[in-house]
Amino acid sequence: MSVTSTESELLVSTDWVDEHRQDENVRIVESDEDLLLYQQGHIREAVRIDWQTDLQDQTIRDYLSKDSFAELCASKGISNDTTVVFYGDKNNWWACYALWAFKLYGHEKCLIMDGGRRRWELDGREFVRDAEPDYTRGSYAAKDPDLSIRAFRDEVLQHQAAGKSMIDVRSPGEYTGEMLHMEDYPQEGALRAGHIPGAASVPWSRAVDDDGTFKSHEELEQIYLDEAGLKRDDETIIAYCRIGERSSHTWFVLKYLLGFDNVKNYDGSWTEWGNLVGVPIEKNV
Amino acid sequence: MINQTSNRQNKLEELKQEFDELDVRDRLEMLLDFSDELPDLPESYRAQRDAGENRVHECQTPVYMWVEVVDGRIQIYADVPRESPTVRGFISLLVTALSGATPADVLAVKPTLLTELGLVEALGMVRMRGLHAILHRIKSEVQRAVGETG
Repeated sequence: MSVTSTESELLVSTDWVDEHRQDENVRIVESDEDLLLYQQGHIREAVRIDWQTDLQDQTIRDYLSKDSFAELCASKGISNDTTVVFYGDKNNWWACYALWAFKLYGHEKCLIMDGGRRRWELDGREFVRDAEPDYTRGSYAAKDPDLSIRAFRDEVLQHQAAGKSMIDVRSPGEYTGEMLHMEDYPQEGALRAGHIPGAASVPWSRAVDDDGTFKSHEELEQIYLDEAGLKRDDETIIAYCRIGERSSHTWFVLKYLLGFDNVKNYDGSWTEWGNLVGVPIEKNV
Repeated sequence: MINQTSNRQNKLEELKQEFDELDVRDRLEMLLDFSDELPDLPESYRAQRDAGENRVHECQTPVYMWVEVVDGRIQIYADVPRESPTVRGFISLLVTALSGATPADVLAVKPTLLTELGLVEALGMVRMRGLHAILHRIKSEVQRAVGETG
């Protein structure tokens, strides 16, 4: 597919990033599964924001507080009106997670570099091993979390009971209940396997092409509407996975590439649901 | 023989102390240095790797590892892609610390090693599973080798 295969105001090409990476009001942010990848080589102007050590609270299972988020942004030279462009490894899996967390705190101008590290590398563009650039502190006032994009377990339970739309983005084996995690990952973390009854299975990676860029609008419509049965008049759609990271990728696709109004990421996901006492679970469908 | 320890145990203790004295940023830098320094897999193991043998399946990254006991000393050889510097760095650290050690040294390595190295703090809890699996794999291979030779 082309470099930017899907029309969306939130998706920019590697060309665009190359042209704008030195703009004062643009901050490039790398977010990876492997924390050391940034240090090994990154886009020259990029800063690193880690989904785990930066964006999550290290004691309670939750995201960092509003004040800590403001401090994080300021320290990376991000102000409220900065355009933040995320990219990363694994088809932007973690970049989408970071974008979701930024949206949770109401950051307005967020973009994804289509194709992430992989596309940048395939283009033969430069990765540098320099220290993280030290930008002038930003001025940041964080907003209260926008819970219209985050689902909690009680809400998921009601959503499920009402028969509303849900997408399970884990691998087929996790969905059917044969496995507790993706193939080749340690099989632990939940006491029960299966999926939330009523959820359609669409593994997150189906949304991307081989070069890491998102599929075209038509292809995405075919997957999520024709195959998975989402409807344009769906009131709310909930996406979940194991810890809420893969589903933030699908959340991005549904909300910004397909334009659904109300899409929520259930970040408790299977490591919460599969451990809850008494909640409904379906297997081998 | 099995109960014999060696000065290699000290190597691991030295590394723990070195890591402990660093701040988080420098710990990550050191782990990246280890990743850079992992020796290439010896030629004689490559056919086995290409045939998919000795893969550490508990680890999501394609990691291939051979743990051998030769004349009472441990030898570890591994192949880890450069695109996975964290796993590569941790294995390289273990290769440095444990190559030439006795089986007893290796079996005495505590499961809390990652905490002792300050890597839980540096990398976050969720990244620990794959790394724990590698340490566990090395220890169980040593246990097996020791069992076989009696």
